[in-house]
Amino acid sequence: MSDNRILETLAGQGISRRAFLKYCATLASLMALPPSAGKAFAEALAKAPRPSVIWLPFQECTGCTESITRSHSPSIEGMIFDMISLDYQETLMAAAGHQAEAALHEAMERNMGKYILIVDGSVPLGLDGAYSCIAGRSNLEMLKEVAQGAAAIVAMGSCAAYGGLPKANPNPTGAVAVSDVIKDKPIVNIPGCPPIPAVITGVLAHYLTFGSLPELDHLGRPKSFYGETIHDRCYRRPFYDQGKFAKTFDDEGARKGWCLFELGCKGPVTYNACASVKWNGGTSWPVESGHGCLGCSEPDFWDAGSFYKALSMPANPLKLAAGAAVAGAVAGIAISVSNKARKGAAKTGHETTTLADLEKHHE
Amino acid sequence: MALPDIPVVAETGALTGNARAVLGEVETLLDGLLRTGEGGIVDIRGLPLSPGDRIWLLEQLGKGEVEIHLDIGGRSRILETAYPAVWWIEHCDEGGHLISEFIQVAYVPELISAHPDDVESGLEHLRNRNADLS
Amino acid sequence: MNELQFLTWVRGTGLDIAVAIFLLGVIWRLVEIYSLGRKKDLAAPRHTPGASGWHTIVRRSVPPPGMFKQSPVTYVGGYVFHIGLALIVFFFAPHIKLIEGLLGISWPGLPSQIIDLVTVVTLAAMVVVLVDRIKKPVKRFLSTFEDWFTWAVTFLPVLTGWLAVQHLLLPYTTMLALHILSVEVLLVVLPFTKLFHAFTVFGSRWYNGAVNGHKGVPV
Ligand code: SF4
Ligand code: SF4
Repeated sequence: MSDNRILETLAGQGISRRAFLKYCATLASLMALPPSAGKAFAEALAKAPRPSVIWLPFQECTGCTESITRSHSPSIEGMIFDMISLDYQETLMAAAGHQAEAALHEAMERNMGKYILIVDGSVPLGLDGAYSCIAGRSNLEMLKEVAQGAAAIVAMGSCAAYGGLPKANPNPTGAVAVSDVIKDKPIVNIPGCPPIPAVITGVLAHYLTFGSLPELDHLGRPKSFYGETIHDRCYRRPFYDQGKFAKTFDDEGARKGWCLFELGCKGPVTYNACASVKWNGGTSWPVESGHGCLGCSEPDFWDAGSFYKALSMPANPLKLAAGAAVAGAVAGIAISVSNKARKGAAKTGHETTTLADLEKHHE
Repeated sequence: MALPDIPVVAETGALTGNARAVLGEVETLLDGLLRTGEGGIVDIRGLPLSPGDRIWLLEQLGKGEVEIHLDIGGRSRILETAYPAVWWIEHCDEGGHLISEFIQVAYVPELISAHPDDVESGLEHLRNRNADLS
Repeated sequence: MNELQFLTWVRGTGLDIAVAIFLLGVIWRLVEIYSLGRKKDLAAPRHTPGASGWHTIVRRSVPPPGMFKQSPVTYVGGYVFHIGLALIVFFFAPHIKLIEGLLGISWPGLPSQIIDLVTVVTLAAMVVVLVDRIKKPVKRFLSTFEDWFTWAVTFLPVLTGWLAVQHLLLPYTTMLALHILSVEVLLVVLPFTKLFHAFTVFGSRWYNGAVNGHKGVPV
């Protein structure tokens, strides 16, 4: 199956060459690539073989899978599923139990060293990984095994990319990111809670076209989608620059669509493509719907203070201040008491020097 | 209360000046088309244009004689502008949402012309049909 | 630790520690200084016009005759950067927001364009003052490590703040975190260096004026 050329497969599903060209042009536009890249996509994708993809869900909420699959086919995000050969995906596949296990191993053996591994969810290390098991095996064990034969790994969603919600303080299960476990394979992180469907499409398309992963930033995220902050591309930005802020979710500023910074928007520190790619087929995105960005594509966003506190505000209430003030007062008083005592001692120890004393010294 | 009743007005009608730059780019591409035969594409979505900018741009480019509708995995529309060889291309998905938008400078947008491979398989079909008929 | 975690730390734990040390230091030193006390001057006070604590507070703020001509940079530069600092710290909207969050009081801010201009002028004035200190042999001779150090910890918050707002040099997240961190360093060292003059300057002027006024000498 996986040796089929992509365009042939698509044609078999009634997708014409023109529809394919349109898809590629749109894809290039989504990825903020120059329009000429659409042509390159089309030429390369038409000839490329369909790669085998194995998708492992670990400690997760299935939100990422929902995000991708609900971008209903044959939307542009959905079309990518026609271009890959999804050989193992527990949530979507019909097989279960031993059959599913067999499918996994068959796919691995057949495409050894060539398949793409998609992981969603974090990997718990606590209690030897017992917090999350599939078919009696821990996620850790499974990840190590399947990663061995992978050409590349896509860590989808903030959990797989950074440890995500399971890793939130105090991290009861000892959750870690895929990149904390696997060190010897190329990994691309697609964080977001959930990630934008078009982003995973874009990464897979890039891989299919160029046979390599796209350029990544220092957190392993594709630069084409995570190269700019939400704030950089936010249409409410002019209001931010003019200092026009909504103070509550229901005041005049909120109604006029002013900037949400003071309501806790994390847009200025969040690298993601929501502001340009948008959500739900381009319908809208959080800030457009009147709610600040939560910063979901950044590590540990849930531990970064309240979602509703402005970035310029303390992340947590100051706990030490009162104690420190008291300690300062005590220290000051203690020293002043000691000063007084020294003064007193100096006074009592004071001897009057007479001329006679001085002359005595002279002798 | 229905969504349109909620009085949210986002003041995005203002012109940013970026649309002017697009017109300049189109001019350069047109000039190139005449001299080298090579046109080019401008990605409307890739530019920080406000809705006001987009409308302004459409007004400046005007409407030409040709309008092509395509049904290719959702509707698409190719409009000739008032400037020959400058085409406005809109792609919608199956749900009718605009998913990408381009200005193409070309004598004929390549999306229209048939691909030799497709022509070949079409010819084959026709041959078979003619053979069946005779 | 990535930049958001860094920012979260400086907004959280870091700020907590810095404010604590600041409060501890300030209260400690104020209590210590004001409890020192002085012996009562038993001499009868001599009333000389223009000699009192309040007069000295004002008089020390204007250059003595002839001094302005001798070192204009010190006066102009000094005034500009002190007033600039005060405007930036107390009238930039996000700073007011922070004070409101900490103390619950707020007041109107200045437009960000004006603050921007003030910041550039302040930075320039601080650089000029520093160059003057390096170039004038007497000033250089009198300067100790503390002088250079306090200049740096005062300059950095202004510089990083400006860079963050202007989105220059480093990504906003990192710059904002560095800005907050540099302010925290300033908070920590302020009570224990000559920067403490922010709290003592008028008190000590008043005291000098009062003591000398008692003796009949205007200073
Ligand atoms: S709403 Fe958020 S992302 Fe948009 S301009 Fe304001 S702070 Fe930036
Ligand atoms: S707007 Fe912010 S919180 Fe919301 S999905 Fe985008 S990156 Fe995540």
